[in-house]
Amino acid sequence: MNRHHATGIVMAFAWMVLGFLALPAFAVVPISFTDTRYLAMPDEHWSLQHWRAFLSNREWHDSIWQSLWIACVSTLGAVVAGTLCAIGCWRASSRWSERVRTAMILPMAVPTIVYALGIYRLYVDLDLVGSAIGIVFAHTVTGLPYVVLTVSASLANIDPRLEQAARGLGASVGQTLRWVIVPNVVPGILSGAIFAFIHSWDELIVVIFIGGRAFFTLPRRMWDGINDNLDPVIAVVATGMILFTLLVLSAELALRARRPRS
Amino acid sequence: MPSQSDTPTGWRPRHGVYWLIIMPALAMLVLLYLVPLADVLVTSVTDPKPGLDNFLLLFTSTSVQKTLLTTLRIAALTTFVALLLGYVVAYAMRAANSSQQRLMLFCVLLPFWISVLVRSFAWIALLSSRGPVNAGLMAWGLIDEPLPLVRNETGVLIGMVHVMLPYAVLTLYANMRGIDVRLVAAARSLGASRFQAFRMVFLPLTRPGLIGAGTLVFILSLGFYVTPALLGGGKVLMIAEYVAVQINDTLRWGLGTMLATTLMLSVLAALWALSRVLDVKRLFGA
Amino acid sequence: MLSPVPEPLVRFANVRKSYDGTVDAVSALNLEVARSEFLTLLGPSGSGKTTTLTMLAGFERPTEGRIFVDGEDVTDVPVEKRGIGMVFQNYALFPNMTVAENIAFPLRVRGVSRGEMNSKVMRALSMVRLDGFGDRRPQQLSGGQQQRVAVARALVFEPRLILLDEPLGALDRQLREQMQYELKHLHQRLDVTMVYVTHDQVEAMTMSDRVAVFSTGALRQVDEPRRLYEAPASLFVARFLGESNALPATVRQHDGGSCAAALATGETVTAVMPVRCAPGSAVHLVVRPEKILLGKAAQASPNRFAARIAEVTFLGDQTRLRLVAFGADDFIVKLANTAGQETFAPGTEIDIGWQAEDCRALAE
Ligand SMILES: Nc1ncnc2c1ncn2[C@@H]1O[C@H](COP(=O)(O)OP(=O)(O)OP(=O)(O)O)[C@@H](O)[C@H]1O
Ligand SMILES: [Mg+2]
Repeated sequence: MNRHHATGIVMAFAWMVLGFLALPAFAVVPISFTDTRYLAMPDEHWSLQHWRAFLSNREWHDSIWQSLWIACVSTLGAVVAGTLCAIGCWRASSRWSERVRTAMILPMAVPTIVYALGIYRLYVDLDLVGSAIGIVFAHTVTGLPYVVLTVSASLANIDPRLEQAARGLGASVGQTLRWVIVPNVVPGILSGAIFAFIHSWDELIVVIFIGGRAFFTLPRRMWDGINDNLDPVIAVVATGMILFTLLVLSAELALRARRPRS
Repeated sequence: MPSQSDTPTGWRPRHGVYWLIIMPALAMLVLLYLVPLADVLVTSVTDPKPGLDNFLLLFTSTSVQKTLLTTLRIAALTTFVALLLGYVVAYAMRAANSSQQRLMLFCVLLPFWISVLVRSFAWIALLSSRGPVNAGLMAWGLIDEPLPLVRNETGVLIGMVHVMLPYAVLTLYANMRGIDVRLVAAARSLGASRFQAFRMVFLPLTRPGLIGAGTLVFILSLGFYVTPALLGGGKVLMIAEYVAVQINDTLRWGLGTMLATTLMLSVLAALWALSRVLDVKRLFGA
Repeated sequence: MLSPVPEPLVRFANVRKSYDGTVDAVSALNLEVARSEFLTLLGPSGSGKTTTLTMLAGFERPTEGRIFVDGEDVTDVPVEKRGIGMVFQNYALFPNMTVAENIAFPLRVRGVSRGEMNSKVMRALSMVRLDGFGDRRPQQLSGGQQQRVAVARALVFEPRLILLDEPLGALDRQLREQMQYELKHLHQRLDVTMVYVTHDQVEAMTMSDRVAVFSTGALRQVDEPRRLYEAPASLFVARFLGESNALPATVRQHDGGSCAAALATGETVTAVMPVRCAPGSAVHLVVRPEKILLGKAAQASPNRFAARIAEVTFLGDQTRLRLVAFGADDFIVKLANTAGQETFAPGTEIDIGWQAEDCRALAE
């Protein structure tokens, strides 16, 4: 029938676009097994030579380690500060706290290159270029929006009467916070943490500017590698990063499944 | 009766404790985010000497103008293509059954979370002259010479659409989900054909979604650095990369911060305009 | 056979609909709607009313059977070609158009000229008493006004048939009653055929020429409201429309349209039997509470029994008695508060009875 015709065409086209979205990144997987010395699909047979090169390369290992701990520390900072901020804004619930919440999304909206210039100039003055603390702080601030947004979203789902009920049953402000509010926002906090972590883990532009000579995080080393010589080892690293992201993302999906929807 | 804390009168003594816990994040935002941005703004009108000389370059320098034009052209094209493809996907998602819907949503979210760097690299590998796309086209006999798909605007456009499409799909889908299906049914029962019902009822109702998604994609495209830099291979200079080049290679801070300021102010202005029409926080996933 | 029976406007011929292939939402439906008729589909939730309506409108296709409109088989005709106006429960007004644009919509898609469109829209607006509201947005109207816009939009293109799916469901009681009146008035004035869905029996009785009662996907009975109430063909219909006393009994013997049946307590009762049941089969004897005779009047009736008053409730225009009778305590009697009506006290022993034609023996 005509109707199924039209719907069928739209559906088929949509699936093609979805394929265009989901599949290309995975091209790096076969490329990482190429037997050629340039970027290409495996020609005659699959080879582990680039994986071996990656595993024996200290620089890549250092980068992974650096990326990992920077992401962990700045995520911790963003989660603590962001959660407190979200709860504070929620309870203060005034025009001003609403403005604070709006200001908190600035780092998501303003182009990163602008911030990179600014933070570089500040760190030059403070002599923080190429310092661990400098990078961690920059990633913490730019990771804040994710936490503030997700925690605010789960707070918005809390029925205000829940708190009133707890207070009415004799709980103090602190007890209410501990037993009623926080348990209800834990999924939001964890989601925010995952987003903040991925943000730092993938962040490139700020690190290029303030990383100095000491900090070559994984994205920065990949960036240099792509710009210098398109070595298939980069495909190995990219494959690893995709796997890692998939892992983190499935954790987030599992969390979301457990979170009660409003 | 609303509880006291719900009244928007704000600053009172008993709210002190809440402002105290807001403080750490707010202090970081001000000192480590807003101050650096302000510094960029100030530098743009003081370096090398006070005045608006840097901003005059917007009108006099041909290389600046060329960069701006390239940026606007690519951002506009990206927006157009992303809206077009995103609309079809969002529409199909709405029509699909729930298990299909979940798979579709997964396909949209997956690239969202894979690093832009990794994805740009994958596109370089796919589109290069010895890459699988060209190899495939030649094997099928569709072309004899490899097509130049990368290190030019085509490559940048493909990469940018790939990055921006999820934003477009998610914004449009959120909008479409809010549309009552019975409206289309009503239009049909009143004599409208499928296409008429779509054009006269459904499409107008998705206008806020199109405006929201379009603005979001456009402003995000304006500030893009990684994808155009890698897929353009230095040949397609968009504003963000141009700024980086000014700072890193020629140390022209005045020009760099001026362009950064222009970029930031345009983005914020567009967001502000958009916030009059719809809830901007929504767009960023709130 | 040769008498000139007018062709019905709508005919469902053996229609069955199953959404999932296992359960029938509507089964073996044979139903006719006469021209200019106001027919109501009545039934409990999930009984298949909306399904029937949407098949007629063309949103769903019957799994089996055919649907005829004006003698033409429309089973495979797409929605927009059927020329049937529909009013949805939540009105489904287009929020992106003004009231006038909403009403003009069916004319626009039919390519009606601008001048004609304007005059028809004006006429439709005044028909539903909304003159001057054309430039408003639907969101700026009250529920009752939105309802009227939806009706005007369904009427404006002069469809041969208008379908209304619980159009008053979202309104409060007072507005509902007013709209019932207005709809009925429109129906009479325009001489249009309407098929109306509701699960409110009072609404169905008030508005309809005929009512079709559904339960679990099956059409139970179609008749004028009065006949449906006075002569229900099944226990379901008797219970669904109004109140009734239903006494389990066994058929002893039957004779044409009536029968003698034995109650569980041993008494034998004479009753009307609209659907023939073999002797020995179980039936319910159904008597409306307002048909019960008391005291002296009862003693003169052919069916006479002893009872005791358990409870008396005064309800203004009527008095309601609950009696202990036939081994149970839920026998209801309603007495209209007419002049000179005697009063009763709980605990009183009293005779009850009814005329044979007021008692019906009905199978489940
Ligand atoms: N789109 C559908 N898909 C699957 N099953 C459906 C669908 N629509 C209705 N049904 C089922 O068909 C049966 C009849 O539903 P229908 O909507 O016709 O009832 P109704 O009489 O209109 O009830 P209500 O008074 O609640 O509106 C129900 O069991 C319902 O669950
Ligand atoms: Mg229904």
